Amino acid sequence: MLTAEVRQVKNPGSLIAAPSVKTMFLVFSLIGVVTFMVGLFLDPKRMWFSFLHNHFYFLTLALGGLFFAALQWLTQAMWSAPVRRISEALTSFLPISLITFLILLFGIHYLYPWSYKGDIVLAGKSGYLNISFFVLRNLLAIGLWVFFAIKMIGNSLKQDKDSSLAWTNKNRVLSPIFIILFAITYTMVSFDQLMSLDPHWFSTIFGVYCFAGLFYSNLALTCVLTILLKRQGYLEGIVNKNHLHDLGKFMFAFIVFWAYIAFCQFMLIWYANLPEETSYFLNRMHGGWIYVSLFLLIGKFIIPFFILLPRGAKRNEKLLFNIGIYMLVAQWIDFYWIIQPQYAPDGPVFGLIEIGILLGFLGIFGLVVQKFLSTHNLVAIGDPRLVEAVTHHYQ
Amino acid sequence: MIQNNSNHKKLSGVVGIFDEPHALIMATKKTREFGFKYFDAFTPYPVHGLEVAAGLKRSPIPYVTFVFGLAGCVLAFLYQYWTSAIDWALNVGGKPYNSWPAFVPIMFEVTILLGGLSTVAALFIFCGLPNLKKKAFDLSITRDRFALMIEIQNLDEKDNLKKTKEFLQSVGAKEVREVYEEGWGFSL
Repeated sequence: MLTAEVRQVKNPGSLIAAPSVKTMFLVFSLIGVVTFMVGLFLDPKRMWFSFLHNHFYFLTLALGGLFFAALQWLTQAMWSAPVRRISEALTSFLPISLITFLILLFGIHYLYPWSYKGDIVLAGKSGYLNISFFVLRNLLAIGLWVFFAIKMIGNSLKQDKDSSLAWTNKNRVLSPIFIILFAITYTMVSFDQLMSLDPHWFSTIFGVYCFAGLFYSNLALTCVLTILLKRQGYLEGIVNKNHLHDLGKFMFAFIVFWAYIAFCQFMLIWYANLPEETSYFLNRMHGGWIYVSLFLLIGKFIIPFFILLPRGAKRNEKLLFNIGIYMLVAQWIDFYWIIQPQYAPDGPVFGLIEIGILLGFLGIFGLVVQKFLSTHNLVAIGDPRLVEAVTHHYQ
Repeated sequence: MIQNNSNHKKLSGVVGIFDEPHALIMATKKTREFGFKYFDAFTPYPVHGLEVAAGLKRSPIPYVTFVFGLAGCVLAFLYQYWTSAIDWALNVGGKPYNSWPAFVPIMFEVTILLGGLSTVAALFIFCGLPNLKKKAFDLSITRDRFALMIEIQNLDEKDNLKKTKEFLQSVGAKEVREVYEEGWGFSL
């Protein structure tokens, strides 16, 4: 319609969660807890690697939600107003990842070689890579994210009640501060929690690589959740094909961005061929890991690139949903590829422990996000740009 | 200025001038719905939604870009492979002759280059540019006003001309004029 005169957007209210889904997430969480306990006795090292993997994966999903929302306030974006609340919902997991980090500290001696062995190289790095500083700075970083999440998402939720522009203005002040701190702290956390698994190895682009993955999976999840809610009829008259098209374009862009950054990291190390740098890729180009590496090249970049390339694909709800799920899996495999070769250098190990821990995190993540969505409005109904966003697309 | 009553010049159409883009979009939509086939809108800047209102089909340009981009990627690889592995095989740092990771930045650049150049070329071809036959009938449409021109093909009879003018007025044109073909050159 060319002249859709919408003066007010109908509030879709909050999610009425299906009890069966809730039960499913509860069962998943229980499976996770049981796997954690059993794994601790049977194979603690493998369990901790899987725990770190899923801790970091779900941390990035939650943090990505905050980053996406902050980006919208920072750029004063209008198009995203109908979907912003969905990415805000993901941040409800951030406090949980603070807890999972604290749990992770019990496994520090299984995970990080710098914590239990010393050599000349590690002695030189001990000023940075020591347990107390590691714990302190990581807690500080995650705490900072939780603080910004409470502040900014809180402002957004308060806006639902009074539709005051003041909340948007507050977030416009907070979001650039957050984005700058995010860039520094996320780089640090990815160096600490992932890169220091192999403490002799270093790559300055590693933080950007992890950021590319963060946004890659966050956009996919935002898109998947939007479509899920749309299918249940919650977003009727709010989110249409054009908004999905915008999300699809964003996803496509960050598929390319991830590939660009991943190749930057690979090519420079391959070209320079310095022994202390090549070990990382050498480990991942032999044994079973070569197949995972190839999957990342083909499955994480080339396939979704060509699928999402045509305009029609980005406007196809079903396809977008499926590719979103696929991208989430691809990102999970990417972190698997980063983390697990330190535990199993000969080839990927995948079994009940990995599945159980993944289900556990998935269950808890699902529970908190579902809780958030069923206690708050599904759309930032007080956002001053919502009406414009709903109507700005013709058709 | 347009010479309105010049009999020696050929009539090319009737133009309605609008003050703001929304009015133009509405008028364009009504024009299409009314059944006019040959019309064109003129705006000083791209107006979102006008292509929908005018009922324009999707441009074929993306396909050209895709084919040439892909060709650029493949050609860049083949050329580098030929130069560094076949024609003048050179050992660089003990790496294999076919060191494909080193080729990728150039493959990427040539993809962009051919994709970009072919897009511009396709744009010129599909838009029929450069067009030396038509000239701006009013300089204000490059500045702050919006025009909708209903072309001569629609109005073969004198009776139609009057009706078309009335139609343009009815859809909200602030000003309605006849436009005559002119030669190449400026007249302010």
